[in-house]
Amino acid sequence: MKKILFLTAIAFILQATPVLAATVNVRVSGLVCDFCAQSIKKTFGKQDSVTDVKVDLDAGSITLTTKDNTSPDDATITKLIRDSGYTVTAIERTP
Amino acid sequence: MNTKIPLILLLNLLFASSAMARPVSYADGWMAMVANDADRNSVEFNYSPTAFYAIGGMHEYMRGEKYNVDSLTLNILAKRWNLPGSQANFYIKSGIGIAYESDRSEPAAYTGFEIDWENRRYFTLYENRFFYAGDIETFAKHTARVGIAPYIGDAGDLHTWVMLQADYEPGAEDDFFLTPLVRFFKDDHLLEAGYNLDGAILFNYTKQF
Repeated sequence: MKKILFLTAIAFILQATPVLAATVNVRVSGLVCDFCAQSIKKTFGKQDSVTDVKVDLDAGSITLTTKDNTSPDDATITKLIRDSGYTVTAIERTP
Repeated sequence: MNTKIPLILLLNLLFASSAMARPVSYADGWMAMVANDADRNSVEFNYSPTAFYAIGGMHEYMRGEKYNVDSLTLNILAKRWNLPGSQANFYIKSGIGIAYESDRSEPAAYTGFEIDWENRRYFTLYENRFFYAGDIETFAKHTARVGIAPYIGDAGDLHTWVMLQADYEPGAEDDFFLTPLVRFFKDDHLLEAGYNLDGAILFNYTKQF
């Protein structure tokens, strides 16, 4: 029983901890113009853990560089992009 | 040389109307829109609490009937379709305020919708506006645009569009205008300039903050 509780606590902590990654590449639908790019840049620019945001309209993707190898988790990234009016199709992390 | 032309251009820049750009900014974003077309000049400032609606204020001068309108505006992004490589939007744009000329004033209200689709090469848009200001003026106006980008720029580049705008206002003395224009778009600045076949200037500028 103690073992199950311990493993559950570890799983909970891991889930709540920001994911370690040097860069995060997010593929996004609907990125077609510079206003879209500005919107994404300003949204992620407010995130303390994000040090740089690059938008690639050709690829339809965003690359986030994060501070101290920490980055927002997938759910947070997806919500921020959805709240900006766009749709996430994939998230890839590079250590 | 007609010295009135620079003065008219300057006045056009100072008194403007809602640009044919996205009427809602990003969350917690401000936007200033200055515009001028064949029959109307206006300036609008708005604030977007979220990326899906904006509230603000607008001043318009209707050149044909020579009256002003001051209004509070509400622009709603009712639906966005994010597609691979393209995007479509459905906006509802409304306002309430007061219309006035030298010797009288009337309550004013307007609403209309805008639907657009664009990818990085092509742009299409239709919008309408149903405007009521009692005895001063009541009208419906329809506007459509098509555009093509001669080259594809990436984020941060100068984006250029060549566009054709058609305006139709049933019942107006000049009820139909065709306006060729160019759009320049860089970062959070958007500038449009055109000149229609009847000699009216189109000038729109939008800045997001």
